[in-house]
Amino acid sequence: MELLSYVIRKLIGGIPLILGVTLISFVLMVYFGPDKTFELLSKNPTEAEIAQVRAQLGYDRPFLVRYAEYLKEMATLDFGFSDSTGERVSSILSRTIPVSLALLAPGFVLGNLLGIVLGLVAAWYRGGWVDKLIMGGAVVGMSISFLVVIVAFQALFGVVLGWFPVRGWNVHDLPSYAYYVTVPTLASVFVALGYNTRFFRAVLVEEINRDHVRTARAFGARPAEILFRNVLMNAMIPIVTRILFSIPLIVVSGSLLIESYFGIPGIGKVTFDAITSGDQPILKAVVGLTAVLFVLILIVTDILYRVVDPRVSLTGDAR
Amino acid sequence: MSDPGIILPAPEPAAARLRPERTSLWGRALDQFRRDHAAITGLAIVAVFFLMAVGVWFGWWGTQWSQALGGRWEGPSGGHWLGTNLLGQDIFQRAVYSTRTAFEIGLIVAILSTLLGGLLGALSGFYSSRWIDSVLLWLMGTLDSIPFYLFVAAVAVAMAGNPWAMHIAMVATFWTTTARLVRGEVIKLKNLEFVEAAHAIGLGQFRIIFRHLLPNTFHILLVQGTIVFVSAIKAEVILSFLGLGVQDGVSWGLMIAESTQEVLAGQYMNFIVASSFMFVLVMAFNLFSDGLQDALDPRRAPR
Repeated sequence: MELLSYVIRKLIGGIPLILGVTLISFVLMVYFGPDKTFELLSKNPTEAEIAQVRAQLGYDRPFLVRYAEYLKEMATLDFGFSDSTGERVSSILSRTIPVSLALLAPGFVLGNLLGIVLGLVAAWYRGGWVDKLIMGGAVVGMSISFLVVIVAFQALFGVVLGWFPVRGWNVHDLPSYAYYVTVPTLASVFVALGYNTRFFRAVLVEEINRDHVRTARAFGARPAEILFRNVLMNAMIPIVTRILFSIPLIVVSGSLLIESYFGIPGIGKVTFDAITSGDQPILKAVVGLTAVLFVLILIVTDILYRVVDPRVSLTGDAR
Repeated sequence: MSDPGIILPAPEPAAARLRPERTSLWGRALDQFRRDHAAITGLAIVAVFFLMAVGVWFGWWGTQWSQALGGRWEGPSGGHWLGTNLLGQDIFQRAVYSTRTAFEIGLIVAILSTLLGGLLGALSGFYSSRWIDSVLLWLMGTLDSIPFYLFVAAVAVAMAGNPWAMHIAMVATFWTTTARLVRGEVIKLKNLEFVEAAHAIGLGQFRIIFRHLLPNTFHILLVQGTIVFVSAIKAEVILSFLGLGVQDGVSWGLMIAESTQEVLAGQYMNFIVASSFMFVLVMAFNLFSDGLQDALDPRRAPR
């Protein structure tokens, strides 16, 4: 009961943020967005024709009314039709999002798992040459642009070695999935690994220096057991937070580059095309939905804290 | 941190060179930084790049970056040190000119977002749990919730191809992290005795914020500035690829974007040169920034 009221309070607390992100995307993309009046008019329109089209597009109505309409679009997931293809935006989204998820999931999981493993190893041998090697590698990885990694991997695996395809997404079974997903996965793991390893190492070092770890060591527990039970499990909250928060970022930013570069028909490619062609209905849907998704993740994380960590206060500000 | 009014330690008298451990934050930081070979190397490389950018600024070199001086895809030669690209433009000149573009973007975005973050963070911290703090926190939360590349795209759509759309979008997203850190520090500082004393002798609120609180967050601003600088340079590459980046002139991002077609044709020079220039600068700046963080963060134990 107490938990339920906490959940409800958190959801209500998220409303200002949701209003904020929708307001910003509305102001940027609808209110100051492209004016479509003259695309719908014949040559040399009269004043009356212009006024009529503007009224038809809703440009003459007050700010708040148009914002409320945008909110309604967001709530009903009905964003109208794409400017360039004429397809319904909601059907474009439902067709392309699964492709992006299938494309990015392996890289996302591997990037975080490897990051945690490397972070654990570096934290265990902190100060030693293993640590220096791993962290040096992380700084190098952080310094290479995502775009450079994609171009280099594509050239290496697609052009020079010829093992994997350069473009496309023709997936119908497991082998073909592996065939198309490998190079994008390698690229996204490579890019994520530097940042992930550094973050996880910092969190894990803090935990490894605590008294209970020293006690476990003194009692003769094996390193693998200490690392897993005493260190990793206790550092779970910051780790899970980071992983959850990176989801919207990965889904949009990651897929944007990979898909447009490899010609994969996911949400990132659609967004890329919408950016280059100024397709406003798609952009406002993608921007609005990702921002709302982020706020929802924020709320879910807060609730998860409560479930995982009983010390988090239910009444006070939990953050 | 004992004397709130002074940002940097006063020049030390000669006797101090006998060096009993220095005790001020900046003195200790300087000692620590000097011992950090990676950070010093990084700073030196950044300085070299900066000179390169200054040279372009004064027109000493990199002036012929846009003319087609040779045939397409010429190999390295005395005339074109690193060969030419698809259009016959000199790759070396373009890469050198791009150094200036990178520093312009990095410095403008880093300085503006650090100023904005410092200012709003200090206000937010000083008036914590009042309405101005709530509004600022709401604004930060909102801006943090919109994915960066989409936010830039949205700003670009709204500003209809304005060349400053990229800078504005970067500043609007990057200031929030700085502001949060400064806010936390100011909340911590404002309960210390020296602020109480400042209140007691009747100083105005703004004088306390700008003269006594903000200068004491300078170490945060410095580190954040270097982090934002690197982020801005890296973001420019992606944005240029998306067609939202540099509108006139040339940048490493534009070079990499134009080289993507050349790579498929087996021409790697443009790609390798632009990536290497960028990698070396970003790597050096990362090392410098890490060293700075190690030196200035009291929680990080000296190694």
